[in-house]
Amino acid sequence: MPNYIRNGLRSGFVFGIVIIFLILIGFTRVANELLAPLVKGTSQLPMGFILFMALLGLWAGASAAKRSPVLMGMPDTYQKWNAIISGLIAGIIGGAFVGLFIFVLGSIQTKGMDMRVYLAQLSPDAIKMLTLGRVAWAGAFSIWLIFVITGIAGGLLALFSDSFKLGERMSSSWKNMSAGIGDSAIAKTVNQNAVVRYILYGIFIIILLILPSFLGKYWNYTLGTIGIYIIMGLGINIIIGMAGLLNLGYVAFFAVGAYTVGLLTAPAPQGLHWNFWIGLLVAMVMAAFVGWLLGIPVLRLRGDYLAIVTLGFGEMIRVLVRSKALSSIFGGPQGVRDIAGPMIFGQRFTEREYLYLIVAVIIFTIFITIRLQNSHLGRAWGAMREDQTVAQAMGINIFRYKLLAFALGAAIGGLAGVMFASRNQYTGPEDHTLMVSVNVLALVIVGGMGSIPGIILGSFVLKGLPELLRQIEDYRLLVFGGLLVVMMIVKPEGLWPSKRRQLEMSDVDLPPETDALQVLEEQSSDQKLRGES
Amino acid sequence: MSSQNIVLETRKVTKRFGGLTAVSGVNLVIPEKGIISVIGPNGAGKTTFFNCVSGFYQPDEGEIIFSDRNNKHVDLVGFAPDNIVALGISRTYQNIRLFANMTAVENIMVGMHPHLKTTWFEAILRTPRLVKEEKDSITEATRLLQFVGLAGAGDELARNLPYGAQRRLEIARALANKPRLLLLDEPTAGMNNKETAEMTEFIRRLRSELGISIFLIEHDMHVVMGISDYITVLDYGEKIAEGTPEQIQKNPRVIEAYLGRGAAAGLHKKSAAADVVAQ
Repeated sequence: MPNYIRNGLRSGFVFGIVIIFLILIGFTRVANELLAPLVKGTSQLPMGFILFMALLGLWAGASAAKRSPVLMGMPDTYQKWNAIISGLIAGIIGGAFVGLFIFVLGSIQTKGMDMRVYLAQLSPDAIKMLTLGRVAWAGAFSIWLIFVITGIAGGLLALFSDSFKLGERMSSSWKNMSAGIGDSAIAKTVNQNAVVRYILYGIFIIILLILPSFLGKYWNYTLGTIGIYIIMGLGINIIIGMAGLLNLGYVAFFAVGAYTVGLLTAPAPQGLHWNFWIGLLVAMVMAAFVGWLLGIPVLRLRGDYLAIVTLGFGEMIRVLVRSKALSSIFGGPQGVRDIAGPMIFGQRFTEREYLYLIVAVIIFTIFITIRLQNSHLGRAWGAMREDQTVAQAMGINIFRYKLLAFALGAAIGGLAGVMFASRNQYTGPEDHTLMVSVNVLALVIVGGMGSIPGIILGSFVLKGLPELLRQIEDYRLLVFGGLLVVMMIVKPEGLWPSKRRQLEMSDVDLPPETDALQVLEEQSSDQKLRGES
Repeated sequence: MSSQNIVLETRKVTKRFGGLTAVSGVNLVIPEKGIISVIGPNGAGKTTFFNCVSGFYQPDEGEIIFSDRNNKHVDLVGFAPDNIVALGISRTYQNIRLFANMTAVENIMVGMHPHLKTTWFEAILRTPRLVKEEKDSITEATRLLQFVGLAGAGDELARNLPYGAQRRLEIARALANKPRLLLLDEPTAGMNNKETAEMTEFIRRLRSELGISIFLIEHDMHVVMGISDYITVLDYGEKIAEGTPEQIQKNPRVIEAYLGRGAAAGLHKKSAAADVVAQ
C-alpha cells in the first residue's frame, strides 16, 4: 500500500475515533456553543457544530497530507496529487466513522429509546444537533460529506502551505525571533543584571497586586484555589523534581497542615482558639515532622515501592481523621469547622485578601525553591537523581538528603493545607482524597518537572481549565487521563520544562555550545597533560 | 616498604556471593605515595575487592585499616560509602559514571560535598558563610579543571565532553574530595596508545604533585608495569602473587593464571614469559 494512502487511512481512523470520543463526553455541544457566535446563521442548523466538524476535517486532511512523501522531500517518486488523495481518504474514513456513529445514534433515537440511561451526554437535543435536525441517514450523510470536502481542503491546504514553504518559513522566523530575543541586548541585561531582573519581577508583582481588585468573588476564589495548587506543586517539586522521589501520597502533608491549623484555632473539637499565625507555623513544623517521620521507614525503598507506600500513607491519614473512634480528636466525618484566619482591621480576610496572601506564599515558596536549587543541596539532589550510587560515593548521605527533601516538601504542602483550611474555614476528610495527590502530581508532570514556570502553567491548565469548561466537569478525570497520555507522547518533558530536565529526557547528544570542546580535543591530541598546567 | 607510612592495609578480606567466593582472604598494603596495582584475569575479583574498600560491598570477613587524614587508624568494615569518602578515599569507575546532565564544574562541586559545612537553613537564608563557601568551591573547581587539563570546559555538560576528557573530569571530581587514597578502576580503558601514555603520566603527577596514594585496577600491562611500585595478582578471588613489576613478570603462577597451565609449562624461557605477560 502506498504511503500516502496509509497516511490517509491512519489519520482518518485516529480522527474518527477521537471525534466519537468527543461526542460521547459531550464536548461537541460545548464546541457548538463556543463556536456559534462566530458563524451567525439564520438557518436552523447548529452552525457551531458544523464549523467544529469542518475544522476537525480540515485538520485530519492536512495532517494526513503533511506526512505524504511529496511533502517530505521526495517529489520524484510521488505526485503532488498524492497529498490531496491522502486528505480525501482521511476525510472519507474519518467521516465514515463519525457518520456511522451518528446514524446509529439517530436510528436509536427515532425508535424512541432514551440514550441518557447509558450515556448522560446523549440527550435527545444533543442527538438532534448531531444529525443536524434531520433524519438519521441524512444527517449522517451530511456530516460525512463535510468531512470529505474538508479532508480534500485540508490536503490542499497542506500542499499550498508547503509550496509557499509556509511552515518552514514560520518555524524559521520563529527560531530567528527567539534567537533574536535571546541574543538581544535587553534579554542579556535581563538575564545578567540582577537589578533589572528584580525590577521586572517587581512590575509583575504589582500587576498581581492590582488584578484581584478588579475580579469578582468567584474569580478570586478560583484563582486562590489555583494558587494553593501552585504551592503544592512547588512543594512536591522539591520531593519529585529535585530529589527524584516519587511520592503519591502528598495529600498527607496537605491534610496534616490543614488539620493542625484547624484543630489549633477552631472552637471544636479541641477548643484551643490559637492565633492563626502561630497555628500556621506549628502546622508547617508539624507537616515537616510528619514528612520526616514517614521518611525514616519509607525512604530506604526505591522507585515503585516508594510510590506505593506513600500512596498508602496518603489514604491512611484520611481514614484516620475520618474514623469515628478518633472523632473526639479530629472531628470525625464532619471535619473541623470555624477555622480561624488572618485578620485585617478586626475583620476576617475576604476572598480577595486571601488571594493576596496566597500569592505572597507562592512568592515565598518560589524564593525558597530557587535558593535550594542553586545551593549545594540542589546539586546533591540532582546528583542523587542522576545516579544514586555515585552520589553516595561523592560523600552525600543519601538517606539524610532524601529525608530533608521529604521534610521541606512536606512543610510546603502543610502550608498549602493551612491556606486551604483557613480560607474555607473548614476542613474535613473529603478534602484530602487521593485525587488531591493525583492532581498535584499531574500538574507537575504536565507543566514540566523541576520547572517553576512549568508548575504555575500546569496548575492553571489543570485547575483553571475545568473552571472555564464547567460543562465537561464530569469528564475532568477523562480529560486528565487523555491530557497525560498525550503529554507523555508529545512532550514528555512537560509544557514548560526546565532546561536540565529536558536534557535528562532526551537521549540525543546536543551539540556543544562553545568552542571550548574543539580546543580541548586539539589540546588532548597535541599536548601532553603536563604541558597544560 | 615498612619504613613508609601505611595508608591502607587489608587483612584477610573475604567477600562471598552465595556459594561463590569472589574475594578470598586478600592481604594488601598500600604505602603512602605508593602506586599499587591489582591485576588478574576477568572475573578474578578485582572490582569486588575495590567495592569492598570503597564501601559498596561489606566484606564477610577481614579488616580494612585506613589511616585517615589525621593518621588515625580506622577499620572501614561496616562504614557506608559516604563515610568512607569523607575519611579521604575517592574512586573512579570502570565505565565512566559522571553526572551526565550537570556541567563539568557542577560535577566537581558535587565531589567537594564532604568538605561543605553549611546547612539547608543557611542555603535558604544565603548567609555570608554560604556565599563564601560557594565562591571558594567554584574557584577550587576551576583550579582542578585546569589541573586535569580541562581549563575552559567548566560550563560544558559532562555528556558533551569527549571520552578522554570525561575520564579526566571523573578524576577531577574524585580529587575534589582531597583524598588521601585514590582508587582508579581501569583509567585507561578504551583509550588509544597516545591517550594511555598521557593518562599514565597524569597518574604519576597525582602522586608527585598532590602526594596521593593510588590504588589501580588496570588491564593494560604496559601501564601496570610502567607505573606500579607493587603489583598484586588476583585469580579466582585469591592473591596468587605480589611484588615489584619485575618479580611479577617472572612469576610462573601469574603466567599460568593468564595463559593456563599448559601454555605456562610450554614457556621455558622466563624472558619469553615476561614478554607475553607484558602484552
